[in-house]
This record gives sequence, structure tokens and C-alpha cells, in this order.
Amino acid sequence: MIWQRVFAMAHKEWREIVRDRLFFSLAFVVPALLMVLFGYGLSLDVENIPFAVVDQDHSAASREYAWRFIGSRYFQFRGYSESEREAGQQLASGQIRVALVIPPQFGRTLGRGQAAQVATLVDGTFPSRAMTTKGYVTAISTAFTLQSLSARVAAQSGASVEVVQKALQPVTLETRYLYNQSVSSIWSLAPKLIMVILMLSPPFLTALGVVREKENGSIFNIYASNMSRGEFLVGKLMPYVLISTINILVLWLLATVLYQVPFKGSFLFFLPATLVYVLCTTGIGLVVSVLVRTQVAAMIVTMIVTMIPAVLYSGLIIPIVSLGSGASIVAHLMPAMYYTDIVVGCFLKGVGIESVWRPLLVLTGFAVVLFMLGYAGFSKRPST
Amino acid sequence: MSTRTREIVLAVRRFQAMLVKELKQLGRDRVLLAFILYAFTIDIFLAASGVSLSLNNAATLVQDHDHSAASRELTGRFRAPYFRIDGQVAHDKDGLAALDQGKAMVVISVPEGLQKNLATGRQTPVAMQVDTTNSVLGFLATSDAQTIIARFGLESALAKLGVAANAGNMSGLPVVNNEIRVWYNPNQDDSWFMGISEMLNIATVFSVLLPAAAMVREKERGTVEQLVVSPLSPLGILLPKVVSMTGVILCGIALSLFLVLIPVFGIPVKGSLGLFFGLSALYVFTTAGLGLFAATIARNLAQAGMLSILILAPMLFLSGAWTPPEAMPEWLRGMMYASPLHYYLDVAFGVLLKGQGASELGISIAGMSSIGLGVFAAGLLLFRRQFD
Repeated sequence: MIWQRVFAMAHKEWREIVRDRLFFSLAFVVPALLMVLFGYGLSLDVENIPFAVVDQDHSAASREYAWRFIGSRYFQFRGYSESEREAGQQLASGQIRVALVIPPQFGRTLGRGQAAQVATLVDGTFPSRAMTTKGYVTAISTAFTLQSLSARVAAQSGASVEVVQKALQPVTLETRYLYNQSVSSIWSLAPKLIMVILMLSPPFLTALGVVREKENGSIFNIYASNMSRGEFLVGKLMPYVLISTINILVLWLLATVLYQVPFKGSFLFFLPATLVYVLCTTGIGLVVSVLVRTQVAAMIVTMIVTMIPAVLYSGLIIPIVSLGSGASIVAHLMPAMYYTDIVVGCFLKGVGIESVWRPLLVLTGFAVVLFMLGYAGFSKRPST
Repeated sequence: MSTRTREIVLAVRRFQAMLVKELKQLGRDRVLLAFILYAFTIDIFLAASGVSLSLNNAATLVQDHDHSAASRELTGRFRAPYFRIDGQVAHDKDGLAALDQGKAMVVISVPEGLQKNLATGRQTPVAMQVDTTNSVLGFLATSDAQTIIARFGLESALAKLGVAANAGNMSGLPVVNNEIRVWYNPNQDDSWFMGISEMLNIATVFSVLLPAAAMVREKERGTVEQLVVSPLSPLGILLPKVVSMTGVILCGIALSLFLVLIPVFGIPVKGSLGLFFGLSALYVFTTAGLGLFAATIARNLAQAGMLSILILAPMLFLSGAWTPPEAMPEWLRGMMYASPLHYYLDVAFGVLLKGQGASELGISIAGMSSIGLGVFAAGLLLFRRQFD
């Protein structure tokens, strides 16, 4: 490999990129913009759930029960509904996601010291949100039950309500949240967004860059030149890796400065590890580009191969352990999942190479295999 | 009158010729075709079968310092489907190490003296460590644990007070039994949500990319010059492109619906399929306007590609499927209401799962078509200007 040729190739490619002003600026704007948009918009917290109350009882107890929900920050009260049917319609149209139905005799049944029934209707279109909502509803209902129970026992035994309430909770739960003490979703989200964005943008740039030469026919210059395959590929990819490296820094700054995510690990480990990941994703772009002949196909194949797995099978929204077998295989075949371990480890856990050497090794393997595939697939004597 | 008829016949013939040309061009790109097929079948199958957002069998370790009947009873309540006890740990260090390596998600430690305290009436703090790297699951695990502990505490306290309080036998006490009914997806089957939303995402990707690419390609290769000198109007060039791509995407949607979603995952089609396909056609057709928009700005395919990521990624992520509108900041909510996918999502879930008709979906349909037609008209106008 003659480095002079490699640099000449890299220089040519760099000029081509820089002269295409729109493309050049988009290469930097797109990752940063996505980071900002998703950081603010992709909130997995379930709060302010719009809900309505159907109070068929109109008693003090039913109002108090409803108030437990109205006053909660998890629910956003959208008014009383006349009937269960009306609430059902609101639920169908998406105006509310939860309806609380308190039947008649609610207050009287409780007053008699008997169990009262209440129904909650939850919109199950989005299952994970429905699960979380169920958690809130159960918690609020349990708190109310505890209070009404202690009031009753206190009245019978003569002890004060506080004492009874304590006696009814002989076991308490003290929860310690690890790695993300405030359970704020931006802290867990931002590092993973770096992973997703670096999965999207480098392969796209690379695939388009290589296929562009193929489709325009300018690649015949390379076929006819004395430049070797390796020299061409290394020189060609160098500028794209450089752009992605700058993007790594930009994304890291956005995460730590804009979103104030604590960075507990060492930057000197984070940067090279991320660079390995970028080489992997660039390699995906390379493999796609030797497979396809047109830029349209390059765009679509890259999109399907990178974007969807990066979101679904990388641990961004769904942890790898809860994936089914088919999806889990796909997850293990993609570099994103391994890098998630590294980036989350660097940001939130503050671990270094000693605990994430395994994923790093896998990533290195990926990079090597992908580049070998690209090298083998790229021929200076194409069959057609 | 006859010249008028001839003109119409001519226009139809030109339309036909262009349509055939577009379909042939698409059909000859084998790799592309294979990927369209893959995306609408296997990819949707994987997304629907493989992804679960609910708390399932969270790996749990127990640190039992009490070794009593009570502590065994308490930890025994952490069971499937939410928790899965993976074993015991003796020291804090082992528990932390398991959490660090991601082998466990929850570590529960029961302090010494639980059974004694239960008898004497002193409060016992049970500690729980949760890996909240994934905040949603961390929350779900905590809330489920809270429910389990509260229930256990209440039952043992009532038992001590001499009130029989087995699970089903609290009817003699002033408690509130809140029966939660989940509509439209009673088993909270993630595959329904994931499958449908994946189908919509794929349709969106193709309806932006395919027309944009088809247009820019002509520009880049210079074949657009041939079209300009031909007797075709700008609309006559544009319309066949969009119509052919819409047809291909609708076929894809039909494939995924009838081959994957309905037979494999048993998605109930509660509403009318005709309405669903009609509205899908409207959606795909109008979303193509966004692609044309990108195509008119871009001078080559690389630019068009980056621009379409810029359009697509926010559309896909901020459609309201992952984050409900009420959880978004004000300025982003505005952007979401401007995204046609947001309305299409309501339409698709409304028709397929809720069984809604056109009248109930009026607002969504109006929103989708007005935004779509607006963008399409703007795209056409810009495209026209390029010809002059």
C-alpha cells in the first residue's frame, strides 16, 4: 500500500465533499439536530396522562377518591364525564387515555366497612404506557385503601390514625436506583442517542459516497488506474471517518453540556472505543455499497439495515433481555448492542476497559470482518 | 368536443406509458425489490415477535439476612410474570457486581429480624436496588415491588390483628378494589402495537424515499432533460412517479397485513379494510410530497439522502408512538401536529384495533389530508419552477 496514493484519494474525496456545500453542512447538521430533537422529544416518562372521571356516586368518599387522581402529577384531569358510554367515546377518540368509573353506593359501601368496587378503563393501544398507567392506578388506590382501613381500625381500637397506619405497614420498601439516581429519562437516553445517531449517519455517508462513483461511472477511472483496491477503499473512507469523529465530539458535548448527563468514565477510553464503533458502522456502509448498484438502493438498504435495528434491537427503548429469540439474534448480529454497553458504561457507570473489554473486542471483530467483506466484494473487474 | 376527448385520451396514454416506465425501472433494481419485500415481511415479523416493552422476568437476586418463614414468604412473592428469582447472594459486593455486569436487574435484601419485627409490630425496611439504566423498566419494577410489599405488609398486619385477610377475603373491610380494564388490546400484547407501528414506519420510509430518489436520479443522470423536451407537463411527469410508488407501497402494506400481521399475530381488524387501504393510499400519496420537496432542493442523490433522513427521523420518532403528545415540550408538540404520520397512526390504530369509522376519525383524516395536500402542492409548485 503506497500512502501517497491513499492520501491523494482521500484528498480528492474530501474536496468533493466540501464542494458539495449542502451535503457537507448536512453531514454535521443532521447528527446534531437529531440529538437535540430526540433529547427533548423522546421522553419515555409517562406523566400527565389525560383522564376523566365518571362519578355516579357523588359522595364525599367518591370525591376524595377521585381527588387522589386529580391531584397526582401523573394524571391530567380533563373533567367529569356523564356516563361510562361518554367516557368510552372519549377514550376511543384519544382525548383521554384513562377513565375512572366510580359506581353508585361507593361511599355507603365503604362507610359500612365493606369492600367497594371501582373500575378503571385504560387505553391499551400502547401497551407499555398502559402497563405504567396500571402501576400508577394501583399505587394510588392502595394508598387510599390504606387510609380508609386505618381510619376504620383507629375508630374501633381508639388508637391514633398515624399509629394504625404504621402498624398496617410493617414492611417498607427502600429503593435505591443505581446508575441513574433520579430515574430521569434523559440521562439514560442521551448516551444511547449517541449510539443511534452514530449508527445512522456514517453508513449513510459512506454508502452514498461509494455508490455515487459507481452510478456516475467515475469509478472506471479507478478501475483503470494503478491504484490497488485497498488504497482506494482506505483513501475513500478516510474523510467520512474524519467527519464522524468530529460528530462524536459534538454529540458528546451536547450530551454533557446541553443535557448535563454526568460523564463518569474516562474520555481517553471513550474516544477510541467510539472510533472503533464508527469504523464498524462505516464498514456497514461499505458492505452495502459493494452489494448495490444504484444510490436509491444504497439509501434504502442502509436505512432498513441500520435505522430499524438501531432503534429496536440496540437497547435504546427495549432492553436486550426482553427481546424474543428472533430479534435477539438480530441484536447480536449488529454492533449497536455492544456499543450500548460501552457508552452507558462510560457515561453512567464510570467503568473502564476492565469491565467492557468484551464488547470492545466484539466491535473490533465486527470492524475487521466488515472491512474484509467490503474488500473482498469490491472488484476492479466487475462482472457486468 | 372531439379535440377535448382526444386530449384526454392522449393524457391517459402518456400517463400509462410513464407508469409502465416507472414500474419497469423499479422492477429491474433487483436488490431494491428484495429489500422492499424483506422490509414488509421479515422485518415486520421480527419487530412484532421480538419486542416486548413490558417487565418480563426481571432477573432478581435475593439477599436474605433473616432466614425465616416470613422472609421466605415475602421473597417468594416476587415471581413470574414480572420477576424471576435467579438465586441468593451472600454479600452486598456480589449483588453489586451482578448489577454492574448486567446479570441482575433487581437485588432485594431482607434485613435480619423481619419475622421478629412482624410479631412485635416494629417497621422493617426492606432494601431494593434497581438498575434503572432503562428508566421505564426501572419504574415498573419499583412499582410492582411496592405493590407486593404493601400487600404482604397489610396481610400480615391484619393477620396479627386477628382479621382473616387472605387474598380473596378482604370483602369484610373498607378497601377499594380497583378493577382495571384495558381496552383495545386486553392482553397488552406488544406484538400488536409493535407490528402495526413498524408497518406504518416502513411505509413512511418508502413513501418519502422512493419518489425522492426516482426524481433526483433523473436529475443527476440528465435524463430529466429528455423528459423536459417531451410533450409531458410537469404534472404528467410527477404523477406517474407518485402513483406507481404508491401502488408498490400499498402492495407492501397488503403483504404485511395479510401474510404477517393477521395470520401470525392475530391482529383483529375491527374496522373496514377498505377504509384502511383508502386512507393508506391517501397517506402514502401525500407523504410522497415530502420526498418531492427534498428532491427539488437536492441536486444529487447524496443530498437527497441526507435531507430525507432529516425529514424521516423526526417523523418516525416523534409521531406519538413512543412519546405521547402530553409528554412533549410545547414547541415539539407543534411539530408533531405538523407530521402526517401522527394522524396516520391514529387512523391505523383507530380502524384496525378500535373499529372506528370515517366519521369518528374525521379530525385525523382532515389533518392528514390538509397537511399532505399542502406539502404536495408546494412540492409540485417548486418542481414546476425548476422546469422554467
